[in-house]
Amino acid sequence: MEVKITTQDSVTTAQLIGRLDTPASQEISGDFENLTKYAAGTVILDCTQLEYISSSGLRLFLSLRKAAASKGGKVIVKAINNEIRSVFMMTGFLNLFEIQD
Amino acid sequence: MKQEKQKSLSTRLSIWIVLFAAVIFIAALGVFFAESRNAVRREAINNATQVLDNTVQRVDNILKGVKVATENTAWLVGRHLDEPDSMFTYCRSILQNNPNLNGCSIAFEPFHYRQKGLYFSAYALNENGRIQTTQEGNDHYQYFYLDWYQLPKLLDRPCWTEPFRDFNPEDIYSKEMIISYCIPIKDTDQRYIGTMSVDLSLDWLSKTISAVKPYPNSYSIMIGKGGTFFVHPDSSKLFYQTIFTQTMLEPDSSVINLGHDMQAGLEGVRQMDIDGTNSYVFFKPLAETGWSVGIVCPASDIFGGYFRLINSIIGIVIVGLLLMLMVFSSIITKQLEPLEDLVYQAETIASGNLLEELPEYTHNDEIGLLNKSFRNMQLSIVNQMEELKKVNEQKGRIQSELKIARDIQMAMLPKIFPPYPDRDDIDVFGKLTPAKEVGGDLFDFYIRDEKLLFCIGDVSGKGVPASLYMVVTRALFRTISAHESSPSKIIQNLNEVMSKGNESNMFVTMFIGVLDLPTGRLHYCNAGHDAPLLIGNTGAGMLPVDSNLPVGVLPEWKFSLQETLLDPDTTIFLYTDGLTEAENIDHKQFEMSRMVELAKSMQKAGTFTPTFVVNEMTEKVQAFVGEADQSDDLTMLAIQYTKHHKDIVYQHSLTLTNDLKRVPRLNAFIDEVCEANGFDMSTTMQINLAIEEAVVNVMNYAYPEGTKGDINVEAKSNGEVMKFIIRDTGVPFDPTVKEEVDITLSAEDREIGGLGIHLIRQIMDNINYERTEGHNVLTLTKKLPK
Repeated sequence: MEVKITTQDSVTTAQLIGRLDTPASQEISGDFENLTKYAAGTVILDCTQLEYISSSGLRLFLSLRKAAASKGGKVIVKAINNEIRSVFMMTGFLNLFEIQD
Repeated sequence: MKQEKQKSLSTRLSIWIVLFAAVIFIAALGVFFAESRNAVRREAINNATQVLDNTVQRVDNILKGVKVATENTAWLVGRHLDEPDSMFTYCRSILQNNPNLNGCSIAFEPFHYRQKGLYFSAYALNENGRIQTTQEGNDHYQYFYLDWYQLPKLLDRPCWTEPFRDFNPEDIYSKEMIISYCIPIKDTDQRYIGTMSVDLSLDWLSKTISAVKPYPNSYSIMIGKGGTFFVHPDSSKLFYQTIFTQTMLEPDSSVINLGHDMQAGLEGVRQMDIDGTNSYVFFKPLAETGWSVGIVCPASDIFGGYFRLINSIIGIVIVGLLLMLMVFSSIITKQLEPLEDLVYQAETIASGNLLEELPEYTHNDEIGLLNKSFRNMQLSIVNQMEELKKVNEQKGRIQSELKIARDIQMAMLPKIFPPYPDRDDIDVFGKLTPAKEVGGDLFDFYIRDEKLLFCIGDVSGKGVPASLYMVVTRALFRTISAHESSPSKIIQNLNEVMSKGNESNMFVTMFIGVLDLPTGRLHYCNAGHDAPLLIGNTGAGMLPVDSNLPVGVLPEWKFSLQETLLDPDTTIFLYTDGLTEAENIDHKQFEMSRMVELAKSMQKAGTFTPTFVVNEMTEKVQAFVGEADQSDDLTMLAIQYTKHHKDIVYQHSLTLTNDLKRVPRLNAFIDEVCEANGFDMSTTMQINLAIEEAVVNVMNYAYPEGTKGDINVEAKSNGEVMKFIIRDTGVPFDPTVKEEVDITLSAEDREIGGLGIHLIRQIMDNINYERTEGHNVLTLTKKLPK
């Protein structure tokens, strides 16, 4: 699992690459810690190359979303595949995040 | 109808009054009639007696006159016997002096006067005032043989003759009847030489007597010494019949007595039948002759006036009574008119028109009082009706609210049977019949995570209070059991909540069971409820239960948990005491023994499906109760467990240590299993997610940090469903009782955790947890793709 974070102006983009299963979530929890710093602005989670997400991955997303909400920023989830979209559907995450194709 | 009734009342009253008056009249008139009849009778007798006395006196006077005149003339005759021709003068002069007399004879013995020959009788006759004298006696009329001549000669004294027919020189016998007073003529030597006789017309005498008529139909009679009629209105009876003649044909003692008395010269009055007529006969003898004069007066004449009086009085009384009847009737009818109005009013009111105005009636009499009390009655009826209407409305409202409450209560009970048509391992049937609109019994069941959670309960009491408690109990059962699979803990929680603030000291007897469908293991807890029946292939009997307190009594009570393993096909029959304590009319109870007998007979017959058991029990208890009212709520719940083993067609397993780093290995294992069983990529990814979440949960919670242990994941397929059985030896951990996340909440309100179990439920078809023999066993089921 790999996370690439790039910042341009107030927009921070995190590129998520690989499977975000339980161990991977622990692995990248530091990266998400960092992302909260940018939570006052716009954080784009680019899921173009994200294959899989477990509930621990979803928890990272939700924590970031809560931090953004408290700081007045926003989190955009970009380009999720169909499998992850159905998981988002099952958990109600479609309503919590701004989804971009 | 009303008209008739009133008429009859006034008529009846009038008739009674008139009848009463009539009785008084009859009594008074009776006395009056009897008294006046006697008076009339006395008066009549006096009157008739007086008339008779007068008549007799008159006749006697006439006769006496005749006698005196005769005797005076006879004295002259005695002085002038030597002058035969002077006899004519005497004859003439006696007739001249007494115009009443018919004739006079002065007759002598044959050859008394030689010069006169054999016969010498000087005779004078008064013919209508013209007096003629002749000399009587010849060969055809030898007078000295006749009675009138012989009687004084033989008797040697003056005497009256019986009536006889007068001799008439021309006709020999005239038609006229006469009586004669005869005196013997004697010479100076007192030798008898002839008879002087003076004739009196009987006809004339008879007229004198007959002229006496005290009553229009009365008549007079006179009889001689021999009883011969001398005077009688029926001339055929004269001289030929005596008073006794009739009695020879028709013996009549009263007439005979009368005849005897009259002959004897008595005086008196008799009442008797004369020729068929009730008559009074007054009689008195003539002093001169000894003949008896009688006056016959018909009673109808005597009492004629009296009867007329009676008839007029009776007539007046009858007319008076009839008038009275009419007057009273009309007066009473008039007086009762207000009543008629009242009756009309009452009927109008009775027909429902309560506000009908009553007629004004100002008199303060009984009808006025009736009118007044009727008004009061009307007023209070109106008020009562208003009150009743209110009460009825209230009652109706309560009734409809009760009906709604009943609908709500019934809607809380499972009502779709069979409840699980898709399942072949479980069948349930239940029925609740409240004794009132709402009841205190409850039953419930549902399947969660391959466990059938069920309960039956009976709240103390009946009706609305019990129903409120029932609703709370049922709601708490659902709420608590959603996250708690242990019956004893469910009950314990229930008990804690229900015991608080239980000021009315209500309680619930309850049985809660949790049947693990994959294994047939039944966990149960009984809180003072009747022990359920088990009906299985090998027999029927009671499920042993511990005696715990009912729910709501003691908050700190520890409820004991029991468990048993159900044989396949076993039916659990739960019921409330409404079944065993159902009473018939003789207050005999259905009792446990009957129920057990029935269960045993069903077991022997081999038919004990839930529907059959409940319906059979219902039918039998209804037949037992019969006409009696249902005394208590009646609830029955039957659950049949049928375990089906399908052959395992696929089996694969993996054992991991509780290390998160082992998750990719798990993913690879799942990918392999899913591919082998034909799941598509997308489903495979979801199953992967579900199993990963379950296993990570075990790693995190069954094995607290720092502890080590194995986790075994077994994948099994019977060709229909895929089962993933996750076993571990960690601390008891049941993920199925975790509270559901609310995915509709906003980001700020969402909990971070709880997503795992939610995803498992979403993805898998079934989830089931069992703690057995120190193992946590979590079974996740997914139908195989077709």
